[in-house]
Amino acid sequence: MDLKKIISEHETKLKDALKSVDKIEALQDVKAQFVGKKAELSKLMRHMKDLPNEEKPAFGQTINEAKQYFSSLIETRKTEILEERLRQKLAQERIDVTLPAPDFSPGSPHLLRTVIETVEDLFIGMGYLVKEGPEVESDELNFEKLNLPKDHPARDMQDSFYITDDTLLRTHTSPVQVRTMLAYGGKEPVKIICPGKVYRRDDDDATHSHQFMQIEGLVVDTDTSLADLKGTLLAVAQKMFGKDRRIVLRPSYFPFTEPSFEVDVTCSNCDGAGCNMCKQTGYIEILGAGMVHNNVLEAAGYDSTKYQGFAFGIGVERIAMLKYGIDDIRHFYVNDLRFNKQFKGGQS
Amino acid sequence: MKVSMQWLKDYVQINERASVVADKFTLYSQEVEYTKQLVDATKLVVGYVKSCEAHPDADKLSVCKVDVGTEVLTIVCGAPNVDQGQHVIVARVGAVLPGDFEIKEATIRGVDSSGMICSLDELGIEHKYHNESGIHVIEGEVTVGANALSALYLDDEIIALDLTPNRMDLLSMHGVAYDVAAIFDKELNIPEVRLTYSDLKNPMKIRTETAACMSYYGSVIDDIEVRPSPLWMRARLIAAGVRPINNVVDITNYVMIETGQPLHAFDYDLFDSDEVVVRLAKHDETFVTLDDKTRVLTDQDILITNGKRPVALGGVMGGADTEVHDQTRTILLESAAFNPLNVRKTSTRLDLRSESSLRFEKGIDLGKTKYALDRATELLIKYANASVRKDVAYFNHVATEEKVIDVTLDKINRVLGSAYTEAHVAHVLKRLRFDFTVSDGCFNIVKPSRRPDFETYQDIIEEVGRISGYGDLPATLPRTVTVGALTPLQKFRRSLRRLLNGLGLDEVITYNLQDSEKVHKLVLDKTLQPIKVKHPMSQNRNVLRLSPLYGMVEAVSYNVARRRDSVHIFELGTRYTEHHEREVLSIAMHGTYQNRYWQSTQTLNFYTIKGIFEAVCKHYNIDSLRYEQIEADDYHPYQTARIFLEDQAIGHIGKMHPSLSAELDLADVYLLEVDLENLAEHAEALKPYEAIERYPSVERDIAIVVSEDIAAGKIIDMIRSHAQVQMKEAVVFDVYVGERLGKGLKSLGIRMVFSDPNQTLKAEVIDDEIQHLIEILEKEYDAKLR
Ligand SMILES: [Zn+2]
Repeated sequence: MDLKKIISEHETKLKDALKSVDKIEALQDVKAQFVGKKAELSKLMRHMKDLPNEEKPAFGQTINEAKQYFSSLIETRKTEILEERLRQKLAQERIDVTLPAPDFSPGSPHLLRTVIETVEDLFIGMGYLVKEGPEVESDELNFEKLNLPKDHPARDMQDSFYITDDTLLRTHTSPVQVRTMLAYGGKEPVKIICPGKVYRRDDDDATHSHQFMQIEGLVVDTDTSLADLKGTLLAVAQKMFGKDRRIVLRPSYFPFTEPSFEVDVTCSNCDGAGCNMCKQTGYIEILGAGMVHNNVLEAAGYDSTKYQGFAFGIGVERIAMLKYGIDDIRHFYVNDLRFNKQFKGGQS
Repeated sequence: MKVSMQWLKDYVQINERASVVADKFTLYSQEVEYTKQLVDATKLVVGYVKSCEAHPDADKLSVCKVDVGTEVLTIVCGAPNVDQGQHVIVARVGAVLPGDFEIKEATIRGVDSSGMICSLDELGIEHKYHNESGIHVIEGEVTVGANALSALYLDDEIIALDLTPNRMDLLSMHGVAYDVAAIFDKELNIPEVRLTYSDLKNPMKIRTETAACMSYYGSVIDDIEVRPSPLWMRARLIAAGVRPINNVVDITNYVMIETGQPLHAFDYDLFDSDEVVVRLAKHDETFVTLDDKTRVLTDQDILITNGKRPVALGGVMGGADTEVHDQTRTILLESAAFNPLNVRKTSTRLDLRSESSLRFEKGIDLGKTKYALDRATELLIKYANASVRKDVAYFNHVATEEKVIDVTLDKINRVLGSAYTEAHVAHVLKRLRFDFTVSDGCFNIVKPSRRPDFETYQDIIEEVGRISGYGDLPATLPRTVTVGALTPLQKFRRSLRRLLNGLGLDEVITYNLQDSEKVHKLVLDKTLQPIKVKHPMSQNRNVLRLSPLYGMVEAVSYNVARRRDSVHIFELGTRYTEHHEREVLSIAMHGTYQNRYWQSTQTLNFYTIKGIFEAVCKHYNIDSLRYEQIEADDYHPYQTARIFLEDQAIGHIGKMHPSLSAELDLADVYLLEVDLENLAEHAEALKPYEAIERYPSVERDIAIVVSEDIAAGKIIDMIRSHAQVQMKEAVVFDVYVGERLGKGLKSLGIRMVFSDPNQTLKAEVIDDEIQHLIEILEKEYDAKLR
């Protein structure tokens, strides 16, 4: 009896059988057929008793090894079948990864708020507090305490929405400065910015809005100087328009400051050489500022022989329009989402 | 103020072009609106019309032979007034006229024409400065072939200043000259006036009955010959924007522009007295101004009278019956100072704004009143062949005491942040021609009468600063050390805005002024009275809003009309009532929320906006919310609720009434408005760590059947308040209404989660608890376990 040949024949049969099997259940039958108790191979063990003693161990070992080998072939096939089965199951779960996902996109902040936050953060970093106040304001705080008595000709500059003879919609956020100074009682230094909505009787057009946003700033101390104002405004200009920007202070007039300035920043498009954006001047006007008028300090309880200060006012829409090339101020208030959604997260 | 460069050069020797002067002026003084050539044209020469014949083929054209010095040109001219023997302005071939109009060789109806004879209009001198039609005929001696603009004194540049209200000293050529001399550090030459008087004596007696006239000077000037003023004066007036009329009018205007002091000339022969009395008008007194209109006056108007009747409205306009005319021989020339406020009130009320009233309103140089009168007299003698009677009649109540302003060098440097020396500051003050002394680092400056705006040392610091140049100052930061921070409310707003963005809502800002007709829309309390503005720009912006919601719905509508169906927006806005301004969070939602495209789409409903609001509340640990169904105008009567936070009503939530939606062409709109400050107050700060539960929680579901009109919220509240075992959660997970239950009933599936931090809850304990709760629900709501 040629055991090796028999085993080899069985091996060939097993491999053929495994090839044709594709179900786990059928694999059980194959297993029984080739390695089970009733398998041909098991039956061969019966011949062992006919063998000489010295050959018996080798014979038994050969058969056992063959059985182990056959089992491993069956196991391998089993794994293959299981894997194939899983693969087929997962194939049923095929998706089109290019289809759109549900829309969980976040909404957009309003650009004016983003600009205000950027300016606020700059000033908070420099130790300023953010102060707010009412929009329906008294004539006294909006004008009189700001060196604009009732008959002052400069009131023509700010045609206002009056509510009664003594109250109006604030024309600037300066009354918040007055309120703060009064609250400080003329003793502590003041270092604040005041963002908020303000109102003027302008017809709405591409560059005018009856409602708009302002950020005013005020610093009052014993040694606050015009040079300090210059440095502060330079920081604003560089934050908003780039670190290479320079500023120019031009003499101007506001009743509440003396001296007063219009502040121009070098054009970010041409860096001062002159282009269409800056109307060939190289500069763009961005804000008004000045040293606080003594009458304003005194009216708010500060001794003008000891204290001095600076103030400035930034038009938020103007900054946003310049920075983002927006051509019509009404965009900020119409809320066409095709506009609003262009200014998503991130920093201004 | 339009500044003629030629005129300016009378006082300051500057050779720079207008654009250079303008750039410096902008940096050191006032904004320049523009600079321009008075006449923006080239190659204009004086021509002499040697002959002028009718065009052979055209009725209205003439063919002229024009001598231009170097040659004789043939020019076809269409002006009816062209004639032989005239000196005219010729634009030669190659000349460019205003509007980039280039003159070329041309053949007009068969005749070759080499140039154009010009009218003033063609030079860009507007019709308001002359009343010529046709070509301009040059008067007086001129050289043929010479530059025509020079010959006409039109070879000038203009700097147009945009003046701020404090610099009205620059409404005079003298004022501008002072500043230019200071800026360029040049000599200044303001000419003195020397007069020779006739033998006649000025008979006038002048007095005032009101302090609103501070001074009044009057001269009587005889032998006036009314005629056109000289070319140079007319050109300068045109440059300044004033129309030349005749020598008397022109000289008063010229001196006004020169000195800033308005003058007025009365026809002395019509004056009817030798007395000038200034007084305030009586209430309802009438007066006929020289435009022949009858004016009704108030007791704020200043009247000049001849002692018997009014002859002028002081500072504003003369009277019709003393007006200077072509045959006037003798005039009474007035130079006076009036209270700016009175003049402003009069000119505003009567809508009579003029170059004169403008200057009075802004405050004139009170030290120049007599000078201006004498200067005008000098010019009248020269250009109207006049003579002036001896002695100026006047009164002058202007305080003669000099006002001295003191400022120390230290204060100047402290305010400017500069390190200027005493010598530097003294030099700047000299350039400004201020009268000052300095001792021990303190400057004592006499307030110059030409600067009525000066009040305190701050004005002096401004002058030192600007003439020194702000560009040279260092840029530093304040030395004041303070801690910068946002308040809790400011931080809350910032984080809330980000959270709402994260939930897919876009931020909007809408107008606060609204239409009074719409102001109550979507507002629950219709008794609220909005704040009205007194002079609205339009009816649709005449009150302050009581809620941002309607404005937001309009924004929704705007977007929907532009084919954007999904509009989910919020505003952190303000609502204004008579007694306070409250900040509110408002939300409006329309269309698909979180579009799922090809996957099954869930439509927007009440619970979507409620979920968004509750997400906000959960983020800030705000619980104890309660919703109470309400009916309100403009809202769906069964899908609207008032929101309570710890039993305080903080706002409402609901669906906009479908009729209102239909009116606005909208689909379902869901709205929310809550008080922001209330929300912020309840937003909890972070709490200390709480141990994570060590024992498993137990979940139990029950289904009960109750009457349909019992709100689920009430049942959940009842369960929560009666729980005896620690309950983590109680929530409705299923709602069923159907025939199987019977009419008017609903089934609620309620999930309860129990947990105890100290032990594993035993099944019996939970069973007892569920039994206990069911008994309560049976008792309170007639609930049946399903
Ligand atoms: Zn540019």
